[in-house]
Amino acid sequence: MRAAIIDGKAIAARMRDETMAEAKELAAQGWQPRLVSISVGDTAAAELYVRNQQRSAEASGVDFEARNYPETISMEQLVGVLQGLNADPRVNGIIIQRPLPSHIPVKTLQKAVHPLKDVEGMHPASIGNIVYNDLALGPCTAVAAVEILKTLPLKLEGLDVTVIGHSEIVGKPIAFLLMGLGATVTVCHHMTRSVAMHSRAADAVFVAVGKPGLVTGEMLKPGAALIDIGINRVDGKTVGDADFASCAEVAGWITPVPGGVGPVTVATLMKNAVLATRMQMAHYRAQYAHTEV
Amino acid sequence: MSATIIDGKAFAAKVRGQVAEHVARLKAEHGITPGLAVVLVGEDPASQVYVRSKGKQTVEAGMNSFERKLPAETSEADLLAVVQALNADPAVHGILVQLPLPGHMNSDLVINAIDPAKDVDGFHISNVGLLGTGQKSMVPCTPLGCLMLLRDHLGSLSGLNAVVVGRSNIVGKPMAQLLLGDSCTVTIAHSRTKDLAAVCRSADILVAAVGRAEMIPGDWVKPGATVIDVGINRIERDGKTKLVGDVDFASAVEVAGAITPVPGGVGPMTIACLLANTLTAACRANGLPEPEGLTA
Repeated sequence: MRAAIIDGKAIAARMRDETMAEAKELAAQGWQPRLVSISVGDTAAAELYVRNQQRSAEASGVDFEARNYPETISMEQLVGVLQGLNADPRVNGIIIQRPLPSHIPVKTLQKAVHPLKDVEGMHPASIGNIVYNDLALGPCTAVAAVEILKTLPLKLEGLDVTVIGHSEIVGKPIAFLLMGLGATVTVCHHMTRSVAMHSRAADAVFVAVGKPGLVTGEMLKPGAALIDIGINRVDGKTVGDADFASCAEVAGWITPVPGGVGPVTVATLMKNAVLATRMQMAHYRAQYAHTEV
Repeated sequence: MSATIIDGKAFAAKVRGQVAEHVARLKAEHGITPGLAVVLVGEDPASQVYVRSKGKQTVEAGMNSFERKLPAETSEADLLAVVQALNADPAVHGILVQLPLPGHMNSDLVINAIDPAKDVDGFHISNVGLLGTGQKSMVPCTPLGCLMLLRDHLGSLSGLNAVVVGRSNIVGKPMAQLLLGDSCTVTIAHSRTKDLAAVCRSADILVAAVGRAEMIPGDWVKPGATVIDVGINRIERDGKTKLVGDVDFASAVEVAGAITPVPGGVGPMTIACLLANTLTAACRANGLPEPEGLTA
């Protein structure tokens, strides 16, 4: 094995410490960051995520409230709940846990979250900001993957990067974030004729498809960085989209699954919570603080 | 000379004809006349030409054209009030604020004040995000025009290697999104790209949008590739002023399978797509099905 294994847990711990310091500073000004998590119906599938987020919030100095609504709640009621949270100055970020029942389309809910409270970075305005290279609140997984690349001793300007997978919340935002940082980005997907041709030319490869074993060592340029965003269950084990054993022989750096992008994603959510709080504080002050009496 | 020359002028005329037909039908069947409002601040001569040309083509397509001309010293607040009034006007389906705005105005703020549903330039941050997440949006006119030319010439774009040179907000980035939407494998190259020649040579579809006269020579073009040249650069040659693209046409035409000329390629498509977007916005505003083939 020649690749250095990227320690996502250590990166996440560092981020949480930074977030904690900022959260304390905000709290001292009367703006204690606070997240509200919304899940609907049977929560077994989301429970692990919520617990994880709760723990990370505690370690980041962010208040966290988990709410659960019954399966029978209507779309209109739920949007009403979100509007209430949007209007509440004590709530700084809203997380919508998936899966949702089929009568509640997730995109409608994401659009109902106020862009300043969109800590998951899913609102069209948030994505638009990413495209326009105004790094406000970005989708957590994409931001986390890029943050990991930034910890490596690679010059991002002019770096050849291949992103495998063009999902709206991971692959595409990664591409735009990296482009903003000066990388030359190629986006591959299921219609790409030869993914290997593109991945072999890349100094860094991001894979986010959801297919175990999709990327093998022979598809990599020796010494390249491999950021594996996939999370798949195979024979009771959690694995990524890369065949770790063969990739680790060729890559210069590789993220493990679990323990790579995952922990950094949750830490990014907390970082977003603090960022959102800061933006709301600035917005509030600009709107109201100068009112003449 | 081997490449097919893609006639943007003729294709734009065809698009305008389709728009006019749809407009006529909207009027006859639903009593709706799509309306496009163009806001011009100041007296920039180039902008005046564009605005006149947009107004003329809007009327020719059977739509209502509204022009709001404001003096250069207009305050930002007054301009925002004009935008708000147009947002509220049911006869206006599309609003375009001609850029550049005078220096004392914040363009982003003004553009983001336009109702996203009426933002026929597709520059509102919500439209950018909707396009980025593959949802229904208003698509910026120039890349939409390029996409129409490509679809017309190639049919399906699925699986082709596309290289977009230039990462501007108004062309490069939305172009990349649209090509991904049509299942191309997309590379976005730019000034920081290490081996631009090699990247360009890998392209089945090469879109040049950098604004540097003739910077892409023929030997950067893969034989048989489709080349879309978005650049419009004014240069002096043999004592005359000439318009040229970002691609060196004379050498590229020998290698490419098809190529857009400058002028007469992408340029005419932009206003045609502005009309198409206005029509699309009018249909959406009235809950009617969108005309096919006129948006992404």
